[in-house]
Amino acid sequence: MIKLLGAVLVLFAGTMIGFQQAARFAERPRQLRQLAHALQRLETEIGYGHTPLPEALERTASATPEPLASIFRKAASGVWETESFSFRDSWEQAIRLQWEMTAMKKNEQAVLIRLGSTLGISDKEDQLKHIHLALLQLKSEEDAARDDQGRYEKMWKSLGLLIAVLVVILMV
Amino acid sequence: MLARVVHLLPLELKTLLERLPDHMQEQLEEIRIREGRPLEIGFRGQSRFMMVDGSLRQAADGAYKPSADTCRKLLERITNYSLYAMEEELKRGFITVSGGHRIGLAGRTILDGGMVRGIRDIGAFNIRVAREVIGASALLLPKLIDRNRKTLHSTLILAPPQQGKTTLVRDIARSVSYGLWPTLEASSWQGRKVGIVDERSEIAACVRGIPTFDVGPRTDVMDACPKAEGMMMLVRSMSPEVLIIDEIGRPEDGEAIREASHAGISVVATAHAYDLQDARGRPVLLKLLEEGAFTYVVELKRTEQGVMHRVVPAEAALESAAAREVAAMPRLLPHAVQAWMGRRRADDP
Repeated sequence: MIKLLGAVLVLFAGTMIGFQQAARFAERPRQLRQLAHALQRLETEIGYGHTPLPEALERTASATPEPLASIFRKAASGVWETESFSFRDSWEQAIRLQWEMTAMKKNEQAVLIRLGSTLGISDKEDQLKHIHLALLQLKSEEDAARDDQGRYEKMWKSLGLLIAVLVVILMV
Repeated sequence: MLARVVHLLPLELKTLLERLPDHMQEQLEEIRIREGRPLEIGFRGQSRFMMVDGSLRQAADGAYKPSADTCRKLLERITNYSLYAMEEELKRGFITVSGGHRIGLAGRTILDGGMVRGIRDIGAFNIRVAREVIGASALLLPKLIDRNRKTLHSTLILAPPQQGKTTLVRDIARSVSYGLWPTLEASSWQGRKVGIVDERSEIAACVRGIPTFDVGPRTDVMDACPKAEGMMMLVRSMSPEVLIIDEIGRPEDGEAIREASHAGISVVATAHAYDLQDARGRPVLLKLLEEGAFTYVVELKRTEQGVMHRVVPAEAALESAAAREVAAMPRLLPHAVQAWMGRRRADDP
């Protein structure tokens, strides 16, 4: 009886792990898309609104779902909270702190950090070019993420269950 | 004075400058920051280099040198992390921040069809601490009062740079706008609508269109606007009773002042000139004086004792010119020329 209960638990846990991994693959392209939208919004604020950067980031954050919104919000508030920070430091810290909460990977983190080192310190055209470049890079990451999703999402869903079955068979 | 600008400075500079003794902090006029070169501070018309330990020397050896990182942080702070939103300011070469402080910038310019479009690679900053001297015009104002119209006479203020012209007209704007007439007979008069055309953002020091100096409750400011156009715009749109303009000198300025005086507006203008004699040598000013656009001419002089002024009726100013051309009788108009009046150092602008 107990053996049966254990087997059921193992099967359940395995399936859940598989689903969770699959969800990460589904989540990443979605968040990349949201990130691209957020940067487009920032582009508009800078290019047409001439909005000062902290305010532009706040506005972007309010139009972006979590966990991405926190990155923008923290980057904006960091410069006032820590006196020794430049914007680049604040932006980088916000990204590193918040990254765990997202489904995104190293590549897009590098793209964002590179963007942060240029935000706010050059003229409008230059800013727009850098944001554009970041958008292009994110787009290619998104395409890759969608490929991965197609390839691995289903696989992980069944793989979790199958490994659990294997463990149960070995245990019995 | 340091306390007013300290929020603009990155941490390293702030800690260094806060080591200055209190009286030095109070007298601070300029902080000159050049990337990789000695830090210079200006006070009471003098300048010194700042050493790493916070002491001041005349020689530059061993001085503190701001790093590229410090300059970048400074630039970020003074532009509110948004250089891209400062295109107009960069074209003019300075940024005015809240509190009226002006930060001059130097670096490599970007040209567009031969015109300066902005500055990039900014490597030098000059933070000029603004000071507002409330009551700077208290001694002068009673002499400019027009008793019939219960307002000011049109006045031209002459002085070389750095003599307190801007401080003076700012205080005139404030007093007239509040209705703080500093004489007994005028104490019941109401304030007048004041229009300021602030081409270089010095009088009102507007940040995003809102004056950061107290220029009075009945004052409208046309910020960063060419003077002649600004005057006409204000006359048409805001119906001012007193117009205040800094540093007139171009022919179109004269045209606009003429228009304004015909509309019954009192114009208080300043101009760069060493003295009356010098002003008469400038065609635009001479023509305005000849046409009677101004009732009074005020000369300013900054001395050890403070800022002194002398009020001369405009006709007398012209007549004395004629008199001098005849090379006779300098005593011709002693009644018209009042003695130099001044203020003690304590509240020297």
